Amino acid sequence: MSQLPTQPVVKRREFLKVLGSAGAAATAVGCSQERVEQLIPYITSPDHTVPGVSTNYSTICRECSAACGVVAEVRDGRAIKLEGNPAHPVNRGALCARGQAALQGLYNPDRYRGPMVREGSQLVPATWEVALQRVRQQIAAVRVAGTGRGVRFVSQHESGSFGGFVDQWMAAAGFGEHLAFDPEADLAVRAVNQAEYGSASPALDFAAAQLIVSIGADFLDGWGSSVSQQLSFAAARARLAVAPRFVYVGARRSLTGLNADEWIACRPGSELSIANAMLAALIGGGGPTLAEAATAAGVSEAALQAIVDVLRTTRPSLVLAGVGTPDAHLVAQTVARINKAVGNVGPTVKPADGPVGLGATVGAQAMGALAAEMNAGSVPMLFVRGANPVYSLPRVLQFAEGMQRVGFKVSFSCYPDETAELCDVVLPDNHTLESWGDSEPVAGTLGLQQPVMDPLFNTRAAADVLLDLARGDAAMASRFSATSYRDFVMARYPGGREAFAQALAGGIGSGSTLTRAAPAPAMLRTTSAPLTGDGEFYLIVHPSPVLGAGAGANKPWLQELPDPVSKIAWQSWVEVHPSTAARLGIRPGDHVTITTPAGSVTAPAYLYLGIHPEAVAVALGQGHTAYGRYAQGIGINALDALGATVDGAGRLAWTQARATVSKAEGRSPLVTTEGSARQHGRGIARAVTAAQLAAGEARQDAHHEFIGDASHEFLPGLRAPVANDAQGDLGDPASGSKGMYAPDHWSGMASRRWAMTIDLARCTGCSACVTACYAENNIPTVGARWQGRSLRPFHNANSGWDTTPGANILKGREMAWLRIERYFEGGEDGAADFETRFLPMLCQHCGNAPCESVCPVFATYHAPDGLNVQVYNRCVGTRYCSNGCPYKVRYFNWHGYGEVERRQYAFPEPLNLQLNPDVTVRGKGVMEKCSFCVQRIRDAENLAAQEGREVAPDEFTTACAQACPSRAIVFGDAASEQWSVSRQVEDQRAYHVFEELNTFTAVVYLQKVNHPGGPR
Amino acid sequence: MAALVEPVPQGGAARPNIASANIQLPGVESYEQVDREIAGTLRPTSGWFALLGIAIAMFLWGAGSWIYQIYWGLGNAGYQPPVMWGVYIISFVFWVGIGHAGTLISAILYLFRAGFRTTIYRCAEAMTVFAVMTAGLFPIIHIGRPWKFFWLVPYPNWRLIWPNFKSPLVWDVFAISTYLTVSATFLYVGLIPDIAVLRDRETNPFRKRLLAVLSLGWRNSEPEWRHFARMYLFLAAFSTPLVLSVHSVVSFDFAMAITPGWHTTIFPPYFVAGAIFSGIGMVFTIIIPIRKFFRLQHIVTINHLDAAAKLALFTSLVVGCAYLIEFWVAWYSANEFEQSYFWNRVFGQWWWAAWIMLSCNMIFPLSLFSQRLRRNPAWLFILSILINIGMWFERFVIIVPSLSHEFEPWQWTSYIPSWVDVSILAGSFGWFFMWFLLFIKNLPVIAIAEVKEIIPPPLRSHQVPRDVDVAGHHLDFSPETPGERD
Repeated sequence: MSQLPTQPVVKRREFLKVLGSAGAAATAVGCSQERVEQLIPYITSPDHTVPGVSTNYSTICRECSAACGVVAEVRDGRAIKLEGNPAHPVNRGALCARGQAALQGLYNPDRYRGPMVREGSQLVPATWEVALQRVRQQIAAVRVAGTGRGVRFVSQHESGSFGGFVDQWMAAAGFGEHLAFDPEADLAVRAVNQAEYGSASPALDFAAAQLIVSIGADFLDGWGSSVSQQLSFAAARARLAVAPRFVYVGARRSLTGLNADEWIACRPGSELSIANAMLAALIGGGGPTLAEAATAAGVSEAALQAIVDVLRTTRPSLVLAGVGTPDAHLVAQTVARINKAVGNVGPTVKPADGPVGLGATVGAQAMGALAAEMNAGSVPMLFVRGANPVYSLPRVLQFAEGMQRVGFKVSFSCYPDETAELCDVVLPDNHTLESWGDSEPVAGTLGLQQPVMDPLFNTRAAADVLLDLARGDAAMASRFSATSYRDFVMARYPGGREAFAQALAGGIGSGSTLTRAAPAPAMLRTTSAPLTGDGEFYLIVHPSPVLGAGAGANKPWLQELPDPVSKIAWQSWVEVHPSTAARLGIRPGDHVTITTPAGSVTAPAYLYLGIHPEAVAVALGQGHTAYGRYAQGIGINALDALGATVDGAGRLAWTQARATVSKAEGRSPLVTTEGSARQHGRGIARAVTAAQLAAGEARQDAHHEFIGDASHEFLPGLRAPVANDAQGDLGDPASGSKGMYAPDHWSGMASRRWAMTIDLARCTGCSACVTACYAENNIPTVGARWQGRSLRPFHNANSGWDTTPGANILKGREMAWLRIERYFEGGEDGAADFETRFLPMLCQHCGNAPCESVCPVFATYHAPDGLNVQVYNRCVGTRYCSNGCPYKVRYFNWHGYGEVERRQYAFPEPLNLQLNPDVTVRGKGVMEKCSFCVQRIRDAENLAAQEGREVAPDEFTTACAQACPSRAIVFGDAASEQWSVSRQVEDQRAYHVFEELNTFTAVVYLQKVNHPGGPR
Repeated sequence: MAALVEPVPQGGAARPNIASANIQLPGVESYEQVDREIAGTLRPTSGWFALLGIAIAMFLWGAGSWIYQIYWGLGNAGYQPPVMWGVYIISFVFWVGIGHAGTLISAILYLFRAGFRTTIYRCAEAMTVFAVMTAGLFPIIHIGRPWKFFWLVPYPNWRLIWPNFKSPLVWDVFAISTYLTVSATFLYVGLIPDIAVLRDRETNPFRKRLLAVLSLGWRNSEPEWRHFARMYLFLAAFSTPLVLSVHSVVSFDFAMAITPGWHTTIFPPYFVAGAIFSGIGMVFTIIIPIRKFFRLQHIVTINHLDAAAKLALFTSLVVGCAYLIEFWVAWYSANEFEQSYFWNRVFGQWWWAAWIMLSCNMIFPLSLFSQRLRRNPAWLFILSILINIGMWFERFVIIVPSLSHEFEPWQWTSYIPSWVDVSILAGSFGWFFMWFLLFIKNLPVIAIAEVKEIIPPPLRSHQVPRDVDVAGHHLDFSPETPGERD
């Protein structure tokens, strides 16, 4: 019997292995590594889980207080994509960028993995038993001390039962107030609306209006329910020649302002006099004259007069107010009276249709009072869930200092944000996509929230934890019969469990769960308040349309998404008017210090035409000192320069101070995706006036005469046979064998022509499509501070690594397959007003593609159904295709964004769980670009083939078109009369970008329609 | 300055510079002197070791940078999309261009019987082979997945996947590999008689054996010379169209794309002229120090340099003409994209690069109209460096400003090379000079056999000097021709 040798002996196999690997190591530095992974099939599959097949769950988005309905696509137990719920009355299938990015909250690599307790100066992981025990002890201690009334609960405001539940819990425990804090909510407008219309948030029907006037109400930027407002606004714009003219009054042209036909650039703080003068001009009575208001605001009287004239004669119209000054409530009040005076209440302002479940919301005033209480030592215990008051309140309120004087702080935060970092115990909440809940977005309709997957980490729903604490407490146990929050929600649902279960699949129920009337937002002050400070400039602070008031900052998709206005990502910036900049000697990127009585901030300057010359503007959202790897240390927090001034309803006045502006030391290049903001007459984003459109002149006007111009046989429709493909003579009519490219081939592929139309009259530039594309197509984000070039000698003395946030974007290396180009027209010669055109630019899937013929290895080629296909596995990375592309829509993997072992890896655990299994994650060195969501096309074709039918018209669409809250994008088969897209391409506004290059693009743009002033 | 300028020979009407077959070498008297002086250059010196050490160090630094770039990705180069091509493609075209002068001088001028080529062609031809070897590396360095570069080669495979024969990059593969093969063969064939000379003089048995193998047993017999001459003539004829075609194909890399500034029919002749111009520039850069340090001024005479300088002047004028025609075409086309691009190139963002190009390639070479400067090796050397810089920038100006200022204004951008780009470019010079330095100390940098052909043959009583050259052509050689001074 032979014995195995105990001594290590080099066996033949091992020898060969070593030899082989040594040889490979010597030659294959940087080669792709084939890692062995185990694929173990389910022995017993979980219910409703078929590997590789998606399950969709309806739930609610909680990224802002609008509570849109979403459908989560879940594959193998992981949510991989959020889409709007088409049945939901608020968003009707659309979803904004912030909503899309909820997934990156769910899979955020910095989420708390489990409960944390404070040991000395830091939080350390603990078990739930230990953490809950500490909370119970403290509750008992508070009871003993008899200071229970001082306990406070601060939560993120969200509609539905949760607010009431917490109220109930606090009451049962004998504790004090529950503050539902929403830094973004326009409390002044809500309070005025409640008083004037009887509804805090009446539904706004833009489509019914003949004129839209917005005084600072950024209804596309996050003011109110953005998605539903955008749907309605786009519907209004889709009336084309008879669409309402839109006038924006404000000191800063926000995204909403950029969509206006006219901008009245008033001085900050003068909105009230404009509104008053307009009201006076309409109904008489007291108030300044238009001339006085125009002088005070520094605008032309004629412009105001023109608005008043139209308001007087054209009905209905829609006037909105949403200013950030301390007088916000007064402006809102005047505007409400204008709406009443001209008969808009009913036709365009619909109090009956608004969301009812908004509930009580507090702003900075109440939070400031809380901070004062805390600093006074009268708050023994503080619970925080969702909100991040340490970050989202001005520093002068001293909330963080107050936290130090609170005996015991409990956070339910998912993320290590500034507030959670100061707490004594962190009991991490489930993410909203892992939680139960409900909302009441519209009177009589309930949105249902359900977990779409098991909790990723050792977390528990905050409400369940509260119930657990209640059960363990003799005083409270009897007050709560439900054993879980799910039971609590179900029990309240009209019709009970069965009805709830039945409605759950659709995500929508009917009825109301309001146990008490939503408290009317209180008007705390009715007087006017002046702007403080005495600087030369006004400081305008505004929430970012992408990051909100800061909650979005830890999601790389949102950090990477260029601001729709400035096109800057991963950075804070100060908007300065070019004339002001010239006067102060400020160049783009120069550091600028803004000093107010409350403090100062310094950020690089961005020269922006859309800011009043006497104002500077800074967006909220950046400047986090905690909140995870993506948020921390990027930009500045504009609140550092704001004092405690609030408007009449207690929300922080974002425009409250005059400031001095000075050029500071240093300079940071702007992390922008913008090359030139001007079209240089190239006819890329085109527009017609409503009058031209009505006269049928759109087509003639659209077409520039170029020498060597293309024939118009193919335009604007796309009935071209599959154009020349790169593979030889298949495009040759004399060729006998065309294979799959023959229209009568059994696959039928060549009889299709996938195409897209983008209606620039609808597009608002909101960029929801961009984030949807990131989510669907596994596009890496490249701007995090560790994703730059690995070594930059002579750059930074401390570190060889280039840690500039957005370093790759500074080098133009963003990977967005779909980008929104923002072109300005006019305004160069000192004119205040200018026009903005947004143009979503993606691969045009040219019928005669310049990229295809130059690829040496056929990595890009033309599919029979008109797609310009990119084969990642075949690509060797010559990048010749990009040089050929006139649209510049090809993106190269400069670093190993898809490679775990590289520092630039874009999907650190568990962000990789979001990756779409249908789409390859690209390695370094290959080219990529928009595929028209080829995975969706093939999925639909396969499904149809399985079911033995043709693909039905408009059966599916691309991710960008699906998300678009403006419904600007239509995708489909242009070769079939049945699909909507084939009708869209026949529109008289249709044009191709650079049609003179004979590329025969499959993306057709429909011209924007402008509504200049003057008589219709 | 005066000391640097070699005086123009006196002699009234006698034109001193004779760019013809009548190149004479009065300083060389015998075959033995040729063998001794040229073979004598092969003895390594400490200066040579120092230069070789520097070249190898540069090469290793560049190679290390490349490995670094492969590991971390091309993002470490300076690319700034849509400037997707940068220093590597610029350097590729630069080195391919350099590789053109050698074959031009050795093949075309051979066919044209331009006598001044005799003493400089070996050097130029070696330069060609090494420049093409260098150039061939750059497309591989440039691509995103260099380990897959062989996919550009049409090799039979199981899945019947072929490269795209419509792509100019595939044409490049054929053009460069053909050119490298032919020019290396041409270099080697020309070397055979010289290697035999070295073999005969070699005392080290190992080297002697090696040289014997390399000389293919050359015995200096008449049939060998007859075959050699035919072979050489054939290869010269074969290489001649390659000189024109290779850089035409390289120019198609640009001309076939619709990018403004690239998409133009003038590119093939423009590139070929530019390539020859840059190659001659590099020949000057190399031959002037060689003739100085190897003390071969009497073999590579001022007359040779003068004649080559005229060729440089001619190609400079062709290139300058192409530059001006480009502007004219942009204006005349009324194509707004072209016009905008050319304006931006010369007066906008890239004015500095464009003016480096224009002054180095079009303006400074005009100095060669002056005979004094043509005959001043110091000036020729300085000018050759300027030409090298100018021609590198010509490719920069073609590639970078075009890509950074294309159709789509939203994607207009800039470009700055990174340290990796610069290291690899420096490494390519290290690689090139490493081979060149090894060459000049192992094989004769001046063609021994051909020099012997133009000196008076030894007067031997039993043999009448033949008045035909190795190719069978009649020479109008006359020993009475007044001599040239060195």
